[in-house]
Amino acid sequence: MTRMQRVKETGFGILQILAALSLLLAPKDTSMAVILVIVGISFTAAGIGSLWFYFTMARQMVGGRVSLYKGIILFEMGAIALALTDVSHYYILLYLIILHAFQGLVRTLRALESRRIGAESYKLKLTHGLLDFCLAILCIIFIRQQTTAVLIYASGLFYSAVFRIVSALRKRSFIYIQ
Amino acid sequence: MQMDFHYYATYCAAILAGYSHEESMDICYSAQFVDLCSKTLLGKIGAPAQAATTQLQLELMDGRSDLLAVQESTSIWSSFHFLPGNLHKEKNRRTKLYMDKYRLVCMPNGELVKKTVQLAMGQSLQHVGIAMHVLADTWAHMFFAGTPSLVINNVTTGDFYEMKEDGTQSRIFFRHNPSVPDDPEKNLYTNSLYQSSETSVMNLGHGRAGHLPDYSYLKYRYLPAWSDYRMVLKDNPSDYMHAFCQMIYALKKLRAGDDDIRTEIYDTDAIAGYEERIDGILKKRQLIACDDWKAFGEELSGMAIPDFDIETYQEEYMQAAPDQKEETFLGRFIRAALAQKRMVCEEIQSTGNLLTGIPMRRRKKDKK
Repeated sequence: MTRMQRVKETGFGILQILAALSLLLAPKDTSMAVILVIVGISFTAAGIGSLWFYFTMARQMVGGRVSLYKGIILFEMGAIALALTDVSHYYILLYLIILHAFQGLVRTLRALESRRIGAESYKLKLTHGLLDFCLAILCIIFIRQQTTAVLIYASGLFYSAVFRIVSALRKRSFIYIQ
Repeated sequence: MQMDFHYYATYCAAILAGYSHEESMDICYSAQFVDLCSKTLLGKIGAPAQAATTQLQLELMDGRSDLLAVQESTSIWSSFHFLPGNLHKEKNRRTKLYMDKYRLVCMPNGELVKKTVQLAMGQSLQHVGIAMHVLADTWAHMFFAGTPSLVINNVTTGDFYEMKEDGTQSRIFFRHNPSVPDDPEKNLYTNSLYQSSETSVMNLGHGRAGHLPDYSYLKYRYLPAWSDYRMVLKDNPSDYMHAFCQMIYALKKLRAGDDDIRTEIYDTDAIAGYEERIDGILKKRQLIACDDWKAFGEELSGMAIPDFDIETYQEEYMQAAPDQKEETFLGRFIRAALAQKRMVCEEIQSTGNLLTGIPMRRRKKDKK
């Protein structure tokens, strides 16, 4: 990670912490809509970016279809989040459960892959993945309480921000070419 | 390639091409210095930063990640370590964005390697050394591009197989722990982490394949990102032998001042009687072959080859008066490095590829 990327990641982490705090302090009626707009815009933008990369370059690359699948899934998730603004909070919670469970699954698999190939960083990824699972379980337990749902999501944003900052400041392996 | 080839093997090639011990030392010192002449070092001795021929690990890791940084990296790595094989290569149904990177894939015997040797014709021994570094790296670094690019330089790490001399093959494994040395006995090597960002420094050159291209004993097949799902074979012992014989051919031409340089010519006559010795060094299962090449070089010339010392010529450059700096050892190296970088960047830019910067004439046109 370059210095600029580290600064960007740390800055994004700080913004996530501020978003988590504002969610906790905002009126209950608007907080759920705020969650969905944040999630929707982030996922849609990331999805479009990944699809653009696939159609301009990754289409020609061995294993490049991953970018297509990633783009479609992210775009779909973003679109669903933006379409859920006027539905029952029950469905919103269901969506958050699926989101956290999916993130947890992907992170855990990546952590196990990292462990297999000898990376030292797998413990941090595994913790991140397991915490995502915990949040999904908490969402199921508190599915009928909107205040709790907001609290869960805010804590999700908060720990995600902490992990992002820790990752940005961590040393990375790098092959020096001669 | 590492110091074993750029320093000691280049010395051997220069001796076999007819250069004296002193001349061969200047050539091999310059060839090895290409791997060390960073912006940081140039800053220390008060030399122009544009003459950098490499980027240090920290310079890369702490650098910017914008277009200008990619252009700076590409102009250094493509000019000195991953010379493009064919800037006009065609592939159907590809975007320009993709082709600009694909055309930077390093290959031996390209038009640019011929121009690199011709550029050194009649120039200093430092320039000859730089040309030999570039030529040798076209063999070791083939199939990778000197620009950070996931779509070109990524490899499928689960599909690496070492091809043994008895015809069998064994799986090569990777890990991401740079503090542990590569383990040839267990076929366990360190490589850069997978980064999905197209221009991450992790995707520069052969980082994703670890140091495999740097080990002369390895013959392996793998699946590069650009190969349309076809495995490629990298035969390092054969490639390194070709590099060595092509260096002798080029050095003889440079020494004679004959600018009729041709590609795909290898001076095998010059190594007559030494084939087994050289083959033995290249195929010996070791991570660095400095001792073997050094012993061979000393036998060839009957002179002692001093260990490489990065500081040997720095004091001379720093102490020289401003108008005398160009005549110092490093002054000549810097002038040669600037000429090589300018030539390669202009060739790349002339194809409409802006990965090494915007051509001067286009900048002037835009201003008008």
